[in-house]
Amino acid sequence: MATLNRLDRVALTLGNRELVLLAVAVALLLTVTPFVIDQGMLTLLIEVGTLIAMVQMWNLLAGFAGLVSMGHQVFVGLGAYTLFFFSNATGISPYWSLVSAPIVCGLFAAIIAPMLLRLRDAHFAIGMWVLAEMVAIIVSIVPWFGRSYGITLFGIGDLDREWFIPICFWLSGFLALASVMLSLVLLRSRVGLGLMAVRDNEVAAAALGVNVWASRLLILVISGAGTGLAGAVYYLSAFQVVPSSAFNPNWAVLMLFITIIGGVGNLVGPLVGIILYFAIREIFVDAGNWTFIVLGAMGSLIMLVAPKGLWGSLAARFGLDLLTVRRRPQSARLAHLPGKSTENDQTS
Amino acid sequence: MDWISTIVNGLLLGSLYGLFGLGLAFAFGIMRIVNVAHGEFIVLAAFLGMGLFQAFGLNPVLLTLVVALVGFVVGYCLQFGVLNRVLDKDPMAPLLITFGLSIMLRNLMVEVFGANSQTIDIGAIRMAGFEVAGLNIGVLPLVIASVSVSLFVALQLMLSRTAFGRQLQATSDDPEIAQVFGIDYRRMYGIAMGIAVAMAAIAGVLLAMRSAFTPFSGADRLLIAFEVVIIGGLGSIWGALLGGLLLGVAHLVGLKIASGSGLLFAHLTFFLILIFLPGGLAKWRR
Repeated sequence: MATLNRLDRVALTLGNRELVLLAVAVALLLTVTPFVIDQGMLTLLIEVGTLIAMVQMWNLLAGFAGLVSMGHQVFVGLGAYTLFFFSNATGISPYWSLVSAPIVCGLFAAIIAPMLLRLRDAHFAIGMWVLAEMVAIIVSIVPWFGRSYGITLFGIGDLDREWFIPICFWLSGFLALASVMLSLVLLRSRVGLGLMAVRDNEVAAAALGVNVWASRLLILVISGAGTGLAGAVYYLSAFQVVPSSAFNPNWAVLMLFITIIGGVGNLVGPLVGIILYFAIREIFVDAGNWTFIVLGAMGSLIMLVAPKGLWGSLAARFGLDLLTVRRRPQSARLAHLPGKSTENDQTS
Repeated sequence: MDWISTIVNGLLLGSLYGLFGLGLAFAFGIMRIVNVAHGEFIVLAAFLGMGLFQAFGLNPVLLTLVVALVGFVVGYCLQFGVLNRVLDKDPMAPLLITFGLSIMLRNLMVEVFGANSQTIDIGAIRMAGFEVAGLNIGVLPLVIASVSVSLFVALQLMLSRTAFGRQLQATSDDPEIAQVFGIDYRRMYGIAMGIAVAMAAIAGVLLAMRSAFTPFSGADRLLIAFEVVIIGGLGSIWGALLGGLLLGVAHLVGLKIASGSGLLFAHLTFFLILIFLPGGLAKWRR
């Protein structure tokens, strides 16, 4: 963390103290929200919160480890099914059963890692997608998991109905906050530095002693576990899960395009993307397909004209880097050594 | 006998799967681009073929040629107008742009054509079949298989025997050196993507004649095409045909073992190859 004190002040950025204050403020805001707004709005915000967490976890993998996944719905579905199956089988309260989701999803990520991390770029992306399809098919034909009818969460009956939605809101809100904070802490750490080095130049990073394989494994496990927990919270609030919804590729489509539109590889971009997504969805509330048509079109267009995304481009233009994970030596000029990564941030 | 018939039908279906992968393998071989909208192009061609068939009653051969031509133009424009702009940037850019395109096309097709399943009903030949040594073989699947294999042969001959094919290969090896010799690699890339999408378009029309399709069929076709390419060995044309045949057999044998398993066994085969033969079939042969 000491390196952060050496940040130059060219960019507008938040230091550690401001960040802690901001996090506390957001936490307080989240705590009081259920007392001031109605249930319908809360339900929408549950979705917003879980989606923020998913998008942050996706961005962690794509933006900082360079691994674009088109199959992240596998963790959403697996997380949801783990929660439902575990809670129904053991009778443990659904809230406490949530813990099982990230554990199983993290383990799953670790198991698939040796196979998938051998693939690069497009092959990793589509390999994840194929894997997600396989898991979806298996879940939808195994009788234990209710085949294509899915499972209902029985434990829900024992919960206090009045507090169910607020508690789901808190879970989702704090999960969203935690996902941003975790990304920030992780990326500002030694591990994060190594990770970004691997993303930018694998061979050079390995030569400098970064364990390429271990850092990719770690990030895949964290991303999988986080996405799984978010999926579990989302379906907890719906207390029912079916494979066609939980393993829907549209989850990955959302994670991917929200991040791309907002800005891949920085922590504020996905939040901007989320706001935009819900705005688009409100506009096309009666024509669901158009949300995705617009999302796909915007994603393609942004990759063409502003690959850093809306926020990424704005931030580069105006020197904003609110949740920075970049390290700058005392003399900022020194950072401009030849190489791919520095070419991309001439403006900073 | 039952199993042999399943395997024979799997091989016939697999040649079409190979054709799904052919365009993708070709584009990847020349440009290192994975076109994620490949599956949507297949389905779009199926819809176009259906529309032309219903409107003008074109005969199936002419129909396929017209749709392939449209496919070529679309592919050329996509590469020349869009993908060529991001060649030197992030290797993920073409992937993400074509993914956006595929999401756009899929949902537009649902919006325009509805989500119902469709088919091109070319009449009696659809159901026609004959018996060889106790095996029931459909005429249409056999015709489709021979078209697929012919396209593989044609593309391979084009690449290895014609001046244009050698120019393409040279461009693939080193676009800048090729340019020194007067080859405009941007135009070459455009033509290569045109050929790739034309192959997808032909596959789409054949698919529509053979079975039903919906706007959502594209995703599965893309996955099959991708698996074919990986199983065959990246960029290898013959590998793609072999990969397709293997997947076709795996799919039908899988359905026989567990109905309702969809493409599970095809996906499984893909992963087994990925684990045990990471270079694909083409590498293994060497």
